[in-house]
Amino acid sequence: MKRIWAVVLAVVALGAVALGATRIKAGFIYVGPIGDYGWTHAHDVGRRIVDEKYDWLETVYVESVPEGEVETYIDLLIRQGCNVIFTTSFGFMDGTLAAAQRYPNVIFAHCSGFKRWANMATYMADFYQVYYLNGLMAGALTKTGKIGYVAAFPIPEVKRHISAFAIGAREVNPRAEVHVRWIYEWYNPAAAKEATEALIAEGCDVFAFTEDSPTVVQVAAEKGLPSFGHYSPMYDFAPDHVVSGQLVHWEKIYEDFLVKVHKGIYTTKNLAHVDYWWLLAQGAVEVGAKPGMVINPKYEAFLKNYVINHPVFGRISVYDLVFIRLNQMADPGITFDPFQGPIYDRKGRLVVPAGMWMSYDALITMEWAAAGIVGPWPGEP
Amino acid sequence: MDWVNWLVSTVSRALAFGVPLLWGTLGEICAERAGVVNLGVEGMMILGAFTAFAVAQSTGQPGLGLLCAALVGGGAALFHAFLTVTLRANQYVSGLALSMFGLGLAGLLGRGWEGKPLAATLPTLTLPGLARIPVLGPMLFQDQTVLTYAGVLLAVLLWLLLFRTRWGVVIRSVGESPATADALGIRVSLVRYLCVGFGGLLAGVGGGYLSVAYRPAWTEGMSAGMGWIVIALTIFAAWDPLQAIWGAFFFGALYHLSYRLQAYLAPELLKLMPYLFAVVVLAASGFGGARWRRRAPGALGLPYVRGER
Repeated sequence: MKRIWAVVLAVVALGAVALGATRIKAGFIYVGPIGDYGWTHAHDVGRRIVDEKYDWLETVYVESVPEGEVETYIDLLIRQGCNVIFTTSFGFMDGTLAAAQRYPNVIFAHCSGFKRWANMATYMADFYQVYYLNGLMAGALTKTGKIGYVAAFPIPEVKRHISAFAIGAREVNPRAEVHVRWIYEWYNPAAAKEATEALIAEGCDVFAFTEDSPTVVQVAAEKGLPSFGHYSPMYDFAPDHVVSGQLVHWEKIYEDFLVKVHKGIYTTKNLAHVDYWWLLAQGAVEVGAKPGMVINPKYEAFLKNYVINHPVFGRISVYDLVFIRLNQMADPGITFDPFQGPIYDRKGRLVVPAGMWMSYDALITMEWAAAGIVGPWPGEP
Repeated sequence: MDWVNWLVSTVSRALAFGVPLLWGTLGEICAERAGVVNLGVEGMMILGAFTAFAVAQSTGQPGLGLLCAALVGGGAALFHAFLTVTLRANQYVSGLALSMFGLGLAGLLGRGWEGKPLAATLPTLTLPGLARIPVLGPMLFQDQTVLTYAGVLLAVLLWLLLFRTRWGVVIRSVGESPATADALGIRVSLVRYLCVGFGGLLAGVGGGYLSVAYRPAWTEGMSAGMGWIVIALTIFAAWDPLQAIWGAFFFGALYHLSYRLQAYLAPELLKLMPYLFAVVVLAASGFGGARWRRRAPGALGLPYVRGER
């Protein structure tokens, strides 16, 4: 009998050890405050969703970490017992790589970068397809033919968004212009406000943006002008004026990654080629004014009545066009991409040959401006 | 390009953006005229912004929100006064600490308030009659809140108080030479407490404007460095409330134009413009020297200890 108990105890103990080994404590390092209602807020929403879903998972986070100090905070989190570390800013890339080399037994994942290591993966949920869909609607909604776009920094990610948006707008309205203002900050409500006011003064009447606050939506709504939300659901800020927007679901990537770590599929040895580039088809991004609302019902009738002559689909309403394109991109066997050749940049050069799509490398290093974009474009080839 | 449109939108935006700067600068002038530098403007503004938002959101009264923002700003300033006047701590260190403390506390208290649009915003006014004047109407008398006009009025009143009343003499003498003021029987500490506290009230209102009028929502760190511009503007205005009016609005115009002119000039350059202007002003006040320096309160930044010096 005693022997049986001993065996039972041993099994239980071993089980506990095994369980302990697969318990995950994931540390998140954020570049901004979780209260920004933009980038960092969205990552934190993803973290909380996954944390609540799995018993074997514990998460901690540090916010507002300066980009140069990421290693200090990685050290701190590892001392607190984290065995998986997520760093969520492009500027954390080199610090994360250095830490990955110093801590070969910890798993790292860096968001939006391109450097990987045996124990360091990369991940990104990109919006360019969604911006294109929003562009289709914006092209129909503008009366002046001028669409305003408030942009954070002239980096490839933002340029890709603006170009995809402009391509969408021009598909519906070949004379549409996308006027761009740069604020050189991810988060500065006053800058975003004055940039929007400047665009309004110049006659823009529909707005989209890439920066981290709902400012553009609010300013446009004060003047009764439609806009597209970005990152977090911004419908509530202007229920009559937010047409649609980009929504992110970081939890899809965090869940997939952490479950694979938990199951032992991802280890500290095999991450050198793990790169998540998740789009509509993977559910990491969504088009809509808020989750589940692709197009604000207030704009449905207008978009259904706005019929164009489309080179592929013939006579079609913009409303139907949005959903056809959405399905083409959301379907796992993607049959359409906004950057589908032939595409000419605004200087008239052929940048994507007919029948071709852009490669991943070309997308993440993209510098050219699509036709229809008006305004300064630092680094334009 | 239609120059009337340019003029109207630039002046109108200059006023709207200049309001929080004006209120903050008037507050800082008030404190510095009594000899106390308060680098905590950023902290007081962000605390004001959060308070105004939270109160306006809960009660539906933006006016009450601004009032509470003023009280919180004033309270924070009194804390600075306690450290620097009573305990004679270094004014610069205490002010910096107040800024960091304010940003942190507002961020902490603000958890859960972000992402909620404010229903009860401070209304913009269209002044009857005046708004119909061509060009001037849309430029000055439309799309502004009551704080724009109140700020200008306050600047005039503050100027009268400082330079045309006995109280003004008392305040300025405390800032120029507290020992002399003390010898004359003026209660230096009391005057400094009052001036710093009143300055905090104004900074609180300036911050409140940001969250209930300028951009009605709460987000962490939404003051985005305005408190530091206020410090530069105070020097630029040479501690004169009337000069603060056009200083704040001139800065507002530059800030707006830095986005308006992007189609014509390199955006990197334009983005620098307002700050470059602040640096130039500071440099000019350093070089330009004696005249400007003479205008600074003589005992600015110095704690007063009776019997020393």
